[in-house]
Amino acid sequence: MTDFKREGSHLSSYPPVEKWDDWEENDPEAWPRRVKKHYNLIPTICFNCESACGLLAYVNKETGRIDKFEGNPKHPASRGRLCAKGPATITQIHDPDRILYPMKRSGPRGGGKWTRTSWEEVLETFGTRIRKAFQENRGEEVMYHVGRPGHDFIMERTLQAWGIDGHNSHTNVCSSSARLGYLLWHYADRPSPDHANARFILLLSAHLESGHYFNPHAQRIIEGKMAGAKLAVMDPRLSNTASMADYWMPSYPGTEAAVLLAMAMVILAEDRFDAVFVKNWTNWEELEVDGFSARGQSFEALIEALKRHYSKYTPEFAEKESGVKAETIVKTAREIATAGSRFASHLWRGSSSGNLGGWQTARALILLHVLTGSVGTPGGHNLNAWNKFVPRPYKNPPPQKRWNELLYPPEWPLCTHEMSPLLPHFLKEGRGRIEAYFTRVFNPVWTYPDGFSWIEMLRDEEKVGLHAALTPTWSETAWFADYVLPMGFSSERHDLMSQESYAGKWIGFRQPVLRVLQEREGKKFDYTYQANPGEVWEEDEFWINLSWAIDPDGSMGIRQWFESPYRSGQKLTVDEYYGWIFENSVPGLPEAAAKEGLKPLAYMRKYGAYEVTTDVHRLNEKPVAPADLAGSQVEANGVVEKAGKAVGVMVEGKAVVGYNTPSRKLELFSKTMADWKWPEFALPEYYRSHIHRSAQAASVGNLADKSGADFDPQYMPLVEWPKDAKGEVYTLLPIFRLPHLIHTRSGNSKFLYEIAHKNPLWLNPTDAKKIGNIHTGDLLKVHTEIGFFVLHAWVTEGLAPGVVACSHHMGRWRTNKEDQIERMSSAWVDLKEVGKGQWKMRQTSGVEPYETSDPDTKRVWWSDAGVHQNLTFPVHPDPITGMHCWHQMVRVERAAADDRYGDIFVDTNLSFAVYQRWKALTRSAPGPGGLRRPLWIPRVHRPEEAAFFMSVEKP
Amino acid sequence: MKYGFVIDNRKCIGCHACTVACKTENQVPVGVNRTWVKYVEKGLFPNTRRVFQVTRCNHCEKPPCVTICPVTAMYQRKDGIVDFNSERCIGCKACMQACPYDSIYMDPDDGTAAKCHFCAHRTEVGLEPACVIVCPEHAIIAGDLSDPSSEAAQLIAREPVRVRKPEQGTQPKLYYIDADESAIVPTAARHESIYMWSQRNPAVHGGGAIYPLDSPFLQKDAVAAYDVSHARPWGWQVPAYCWTKSIGSGALAIPAIAMAFGKLSGDRVRDITLATVALLFTALTTVLLVWDLDHKERFLRVVFMPQSKSWLARGAFILIGYSGLCGVFWLAAVMGFSVATSILLWPTVLVGFCAASYTAFLFGQCEGRDLWQTPLLPAHLIIQALLCGSAVLALLPRALGGSAQALSVAIPALLITLGLHLLMLLGEVAVPHTTDNARYGARLMTHGPFARAFWGGAVGAGGMIPLLLLLCGPLLFAEPNRMVTGFASALVLAGLLIFEWCFVMAGQSVPNS
Repeated sequence: MTDFKREGSHLSSYPPVEKWDDWEENDPEAWPRRVKKHYNLIPTICFNCESACGLLAYVNKETGRIDKFEGNPKHPASRGRLCAKGPATITQIHDPDRILYPMKRSGPRGGGKWTRTSWEEVLETFGTRIRKAFQENRGEEVMYHVGRPGHDFIMERTLQAWGIDGHNSHTNVCSSSARLGYLLWHYADRPSPDHANARFILLLSAHLESGHYFNPHAQRIIEGKMAGAKLAVMDPRLSNTASMADYWMPSYPGTEAAVLLAMAMVILAEDRFDAVFVKNWTNWEELEVDGFSARGQSFEALIEALKRHYSKYTPEFAEKESGVKAETIVKTAREIATAGSRFASHLWRGSSSGNLGGWQTARALILLHVLTGSVGTPGGHNLNAWNKFVPRPYKNPPPQKRWNELLYPPEWPLCTHEMSPLLPHFLKEGRGRIEAYFTRVFNPVWTYPDGFSWIEMLRDEEKVGLHAALTPTWSETAWFADYVLPMGFSSERHDLMSQESYAGKWIGFRQPVLRVLQEREGKKFDYTYQANPGEVWEEDEFWINLSWAIDPDGSMGIRQWFESPYRSGQKLTVDEYYGWIFENSVPGLPEAAAKEGLKPLAYMRKYGAYEVTTDVHRLNEKPVAPADLAGSQVEANGVVEKAGKAVGVMVEGKAVVGYNTPSRKLELFSKTMADWKWPEFALPEYYRSHIHRSAQAASVGNLADKSGADFDPQYMPLVEWPKDAKGEVYTLLPIFRLPHLIHTRSGNSKFLYEIAHKNPLWLNPTDAKKIGNIHTGDLLKVHTEIGFFVLHAWVTEGLAPGVVACSHHMGRWRTNKEDQIERMSSAWVDLKEVGKGQWKMRQTSGVEPYETSDPDTKRVWWSDAGVHQNLTFPVHPDPITGMHCWHQMVRVERAAADDRYGDIFVDTNLSFAVYQRWKALTRSAPGPGGLRRPLWIPRVHRPEEAAFFMSVEKP
Repeated sequence: MKYGFVIDNRKCIGCHACTVACKTENQVPVGVNRTWVKYVEKGLFPNTRRVFQVTRCNHCEKPPCVTICPVTAMYQRKDGIVDFNSERCIGCKACMQACPYDSIYMDPDDGTAAKCHFCAHRTEVGLEPACVIVCPEHAIIAGDLSDPSSEAAQLIAREPVRVRKPEQGTQPKLYYIDADESAIVPTAARHESIYMWSQRNPAVHGGGAIYPLDSPFLQKDAVAAYDVSHARPWGWQVPAYCWTKSIGSGALAIPAIAMAFGKLSGDRVRDITLATVALLFTALTTVLLVWDLDHKERFLRVVFMPQSKSWLARGAFILIGYSGLCGVFWLAAVMGFSVATSILLWPTVLVGFCAASYTAFLFGQCEGRDLWQTPLLPAHLIIQALLCGSAVLALLPRALGGSAQALSVAIPALLITLGLHLLMLLGEVAVPHTTDNARYGARLMTHGPFARAFWGGAVGAGGMIPLLLLLCGPLLFAEPNRMVTGFASALVLAGLLIFEWCFVMAGQSVPNS
């Protein structure tokens, strides 16, 4: 009998697995009468954030309905525990306003008239249009654009099976800056800190309340802390995370790299670094800086050169830039050095995603890990690839031959992901058009900057031929679709998940709970939508069937990738797809299943998760496999090559696999940056963000700020204010998240929105005074480069002076009184285009109670849905990473008499001009050898190598 | 077995998972909470912290909500869990007044009291409460405090712990590790018009607790960044009930006293009139009491299945007894049985004093309303009854027994009882209160949103002006003037009603969480 009991408790946390098929519990509503309820417990995976925590669905045997969700104790990352969004799933699946059937537009696009249609009609329409596009060699015109990932399995192979370069993602408004910083060091573009075993944890993130992977990481951060680790948090805003820290370092936004490099300098100068690790595991011999070339020099000479080079980053300099006290910098640097290999850190968005040059924060952070030898160690910084398990499906289509410049344009050869925030501007510039556009749980009109440019694009049927929104909820973007296709939540779909949440590798299985249960009882379904509420479907089956609709007879070579591995020429089923993976690609799973007399698929359906291994540290030190070693040769730089491909590196006389970088080592010196026209950033450096004080001063005509720092037009675009923008200049932090909301997808959860529904502008009391005796609740007008928004003030000591902040989630709106967006989370607005590209929004009413089948909607007591700030932001593509640099330079003043709460004005002509100013700072491809981007750095949905070259001729 | 919670603030990250898991497990409606996470921001930049406090029922060893409940809807189980039975509840909301921790709410669907019940429906099948298993940090520990090997008991033994408002003597069984003064003291943090990511809920009954921005109870630089609002349980019916009860229970008293001193002769018409007033107002009192119940149809349960320690139940019997005596007295007066009326008068008056003063003991059971727990209250309630009795006597028309002699008794009685009432009233706000809760309530009355009604209505228009009128009357008129005394009496009655309103509302407007 499995027994989920903690030590020191006579109560269990969860029902024993043996009783999951028939669990008896008291009905809490009838209590204290003992009315028994009988449940089937079926595991699945949460759909809210990307952490992929395990849920346990309680299916009521009498009603066949899911009554609640708890955590799945068999899930190795979340361990049965959840954040608020986990149990809230029940409110989302039972939301009375949810979309239950496929809908087709019946009036003009964006007009809000919909009629119910059938899945057959949807497949027929899209199949025909896409087939025609493929037949006419217009593959680039088919695009899939993903908001919430985690459905990569069938999806990514689908696009390659179609032979197109059509995968667009949200990553460039999310995390791509940090990714570049990480990947330049070690190819892996995400960190996997081992918090639980750390002695010192440095967070440039808010992982005790948000982010990937909030719940699993928060568990282990506090575990580490309770075991004695010190916690430091660098964030200009007092996040809940910062509040739990031993050291809160409220750095001025964009100066984090300066602080980190000053710490590195302390560790270097005081000789507290791990010399053996640096010598063995960095490519120090390739380093060239300040006229010094390390080739042929001693390691000691290299260290001296580094000390010389980094001597400019004194703690005092860092204090001047960041506001973090020099003595705190020195103290924490020494503690980090003492923690040594047990120093863990996390940086994901925040500093990196907010700032021009934010990628350097990750670069500088990993320098600290390299100096302390805490890469790949227990309690240290690990690579995501080492802690994430991606099993191989039964057969993969070959990489596509095409390169889509709407996704990877030449101006940003080093962008880690698609330049998706610029899509409307690219289409405006005439770089292409879209014939079939699939947005998947993706709401750029709301979530992206410059939403009105998205509306202008989406409503233009010339630019976007056919748009399907695959989504479980209404959204501002779905409103401008031709088809709204309801896709399931966590308990209504299949997905295979794995994330780097701790020192181990696991897979989790999301499954359509009601279908699984009924099939277990002998019922058969052709499609998941037959078992789900209404006709809510799942993408896996949708793509399989759409691919068959595009290529019904297999003549286009597409269908073959969607045929059963077991039944030749028959349509692939989801059971077969995942069943094959579980049988063939997950080491240990077939054996574990056999022990229980189960097939691997049945095992995963029963437990919902499987831990593959916990042997995950120092994988760079693994010897090169004998098969790879045979016939290999060692190059001058120590790289072991076989048939022109690097397979390892010589370290201390042994051939080990190393890292997937060109040098197979951690790249302290990035030759890639030097080769791709940014030689000044070959080493980790600090340079100023677009919202630096010098840029603020320049925006009001002073080309040097008070400290005398010059505005440097080589790296920074000059901000030009609209003529009616007045008030003090501030930096706005617009991206902080709350622990219990998730972008716009949680707007359908009454219990989550009850807790948070408002996003006032945070400002420090000194600034409140400066703007003019502002108190909490007063109305403020915030001007951006392209417009303004009006909202309330929240005066707080939890924010650095000179900075204002506004939470990311709130400000949903609908132009219809009754539908479009959940009424509990959106304001009803009057939206007008008053001139070409000039958009005005005014709230007609806030949230009001409303009648549905759920009596709680009549009890909605809040009237505020917040203010949609993102609409007023222009795009800010980082000249190197392409990441949208979220922080905004703003001017804040007290609202005037005719300003009303929630007012928004935007001029998209100005946003196009800002885009041009930022684009001018890029250094375009081609790079060496006519390449579009370096061959070695990762690219999602990677085309074949030939497509990487700009000219048709091979090099 | 003694169930209790430990909440470890060293680990709590303020994520609200417990709040939501509780709601989905127990089907808690929008607008009310069994548990929530209060946020307080404190300190000056950059030495700022945001503290989180999971806040809920303490499952007190001496639960005042159980003592006050007239029908055993709130009860303490053998395992220490304080549970509730909504099918018994009559919706009187007395438990909400008794709870010093804002832990009880009225379920909007059922109109019955509800709160955290330690997921007793789960513990009985061997499962931990929903909030415990969801918590990412294992910051909520539920366990058997009587078992020294339990994790909860060990933490309490090992770590410094604190409970909420120990001075209430309720012996909470929820222990905080690393509790913060700014959050655990309900009146410590400043509440602005909004919170950091939400509105304050204005829809709760009565608008919720009142947080004056100039409150002297605020700690320096402590701001509530998130909290939930709690209903002010009792509506206007309760002050109105106090007022009608004072009239009903005091109507016969002044003539009785005057007759005992030989200052007034017997009068059958007066007896009939006053007994009618007593009966009518006592009946009105009962109507108001029932009116304020969320389950009016369950009213008789107070009589047929009473919880004997509850002063609400006891009061019901006193009111029944008093009504009975008044009824018999009235009948005797109508029938002209003067011997019977003279025998019945004093027992009726004395039971009337009980009816007047029992509310003091009911308010005494309201452990969440320290303002009401003044030791002066029983005496004050009797004075109020006598004051009403005087005013009623003064207002009696000649035809209904308001003779010149009666008027000449009524005027000094009014003067004396009004003087005493004003003294008591000032005493209640001026005496040194023993708890912050009482001081806060008194300040709301004298300096806060009730100050105008209190000073202008209860003290000025209802006290000082009639006092002056009554004192000056003899200077202006040779004979007692019915117009002047009538006007003064009306002012006195109106002022008393205003006072009851201020007293009941201010007492309920003190934050308890």
